[in-house]
Amino acid sequence: MPEVKSMFREVLPKQGQLSMEDVPTMVLCKPKLLPLKSVTLEKLEKMQQEAQELIRQQQQQPSPAQ
Amino acid sequence: MEVPMDPLFLAWSYFRRRKFQRCADICTKVLEDSPYDQESDSSLLMSEATWSLKTRALTEMVYIDEVDVDQEGIAEMMLDENAIAQVTRPGTSLRLPGTSQGGGPTPAVRPVTQSGRPITGFVRPSTQSGRPGTMEQAIKTPRTAHTARPVTSSSGRFVRLGTASMLTNPDGPFINLSRLNLAKYAQKPSLSRTLFEYIFHHENDVKNALDLAALATEHAQFKDWWWKVQLGKCYYRLGLHREAEKQFRSALNHQEVVDTYLYLAKVYQRLDQPVTALNLFKQGLDHFPGEVTLLTGIARIHEEMNNMTSATEYYKDVLKQDNTHVEAIACIGSNHFYTDQSEIALRFYRRLLQMGVYNCQLYNNLGLCCFYAQQYDMTLSSFERALALVSSDEEQADVWYNLGHVAVGIGNLPLAYQCFKLALAFNNDHAEAYNNLAVLELRKGRIEQSKAFLQTAASLAPQMYEPHFNLAILTDKVGDLQSSYAAARKSEEAFPEHVDTQQILKTLKQHFAEL
Repeated sequence: MPEVKSMFREVLPKQGQLSMEDVPTMVLCKPKLLPLKSVTLEKLEKMQQEAQELIRQQQQQPSPAQ
Repeated sequence: MEVPMDPLFLAWSYFRRRKFQRCADICTKVLEDSPYDQESDSSLLMSEATWSLKTRALTEMVYIDEVDVDQEGIAEMMLDENAIAQVTRPGTSLRLPGTSQGGGPTPAVRPVTQSGRPITGFVRPSTQSGRPGTMEQAIKTPRTAHTARPVTSSSGRFVRLGTASMLTNPDGPFINLSRLNLAKYAQKPSLSRTLFEYIFHHENDVKNALDLAALATEHAQFKDWWWKVQLGKCYYRLGLHREAEKQFRSALNHQEVVDTYLYLAKVYQRLDQPVTALNLFKQGLDHFPGEVTLLTGIARIHEEMNNMTSATEYYKDVLKQDNTHVEAIACIGSNHFYTDQSEIALRFYRRLLQMGVYNCQLYNNLGLCCFYAQQYDMTLSSFERALALVSSDEEQADVWYNLGHVAVGIGNLPLAYQCFKLALAFNNDHAEAYNNLAVLELRKGRIEQSKAFLQTAASLAPQMYEPHFNLAILTDKVGDLQSSYAAARKSEEAFPEHVDTQQILKTLKQHFAEL
């Protein structure tokens, strides 16, 4: 639509000084790709978790010998 | 009439099918029925075989590849007597991350880990937290739960695993090591190897393992490379690196084995001699051309020295040999993501998905790559899956943190605010979330709140430059020039090439000069 286009005209200053101030802005921390875990690490974590479970179970029910 | 299967044969079958617990149970029963001290030769052999099988089953249950295991404690790191010079030449040490030699990414685009290294695409037991540079940092590091570092490596994970294996047997350990006549077993090559592996991996009793290995290698007249490698492993665990090096070198003279190269390179890495390790890997490649583990070793060293371009080159070489190598794909992918090519990164992560990797981390990475590659339809569903697959609070926090970024990207600041808050709810030590929350708070005009968040972030993660820099800007705005200067200095320390920090410092110096 030609009429609508003519409504907006770009404004480019032809004379005078154009100044721009570089204001420092706050920065966000960057998005974090999560590293994949190696098989060994997963196994280690699994074993540790199982051991912790076991300790918890044994602490909850003290052995009848005691 | 039913004929029962020979129990030892059944146990052996279970072992081959990797049902170790059942195998061990049957062995226990057999050993109970016919104890070790039998007179007749045939039954002695039988019980020896059962005993050996049980040690193997118990070892396999807790077996971890020794090449991968490497955890350096604070004591080893700080009381290191192997260092020759206090200040190393650039490019010869793993200790100083080095400021992006060889075109590494700056912290402005790629986040850093606790030790000031760019984060990698793959974690192994030894890359979990890197090396902190100072004692202060080393002690501070364990404060955040998921990067806890043991005081020494001999008090760390190994011991915990050792005691865990003892807990499973209410009658005490299977073999009482202190009563064992090691000299007798060292004479029997068929028993000594399984016994050694049991002592080393299951009991984690390195000193006894070392004794056994020393006796056995003597029995083999110092000609058996296998025992030399085991001796080296024991010395390495005990922190006697030079002795370990000797053993591995001598083992290599007898027989060229890939594993020995890997162990030896591990010793050099611990001695902080990455260049020697690189040369060793290349020697190994001469004997075993295209060996994937050696190539990966080279790539890892380059990555640890912050030389991402060569690391990627070597990871690509790895993929030429083995195109399903998860570590290589993940590392190349993350490298592409942080060099602003998220479309290519997306292809690498999609490849991982096709290969059957199915976990929270992968979906999180896919979500991020999709978002930055402008494939918005897949973004949120990927994150939903990531959230459905989380296994720990820390992971959950990280996923919400990344979702916060997506929310910032689409301009939905209230959602971003909530996401970062959720990240903090799951992991109270999430420094990045504190920093981003502070930025959002400042936009709302709450200066005090923002400042508090920034200070928390700065104290939690002094290696990140963002909180320091933001704090410098904020205090500069409210007129507290002294604090601003202090924060800017810290920011400069964390990221010396940051232009904006330099600018702030310059204007502040001008201010102070005018006063």
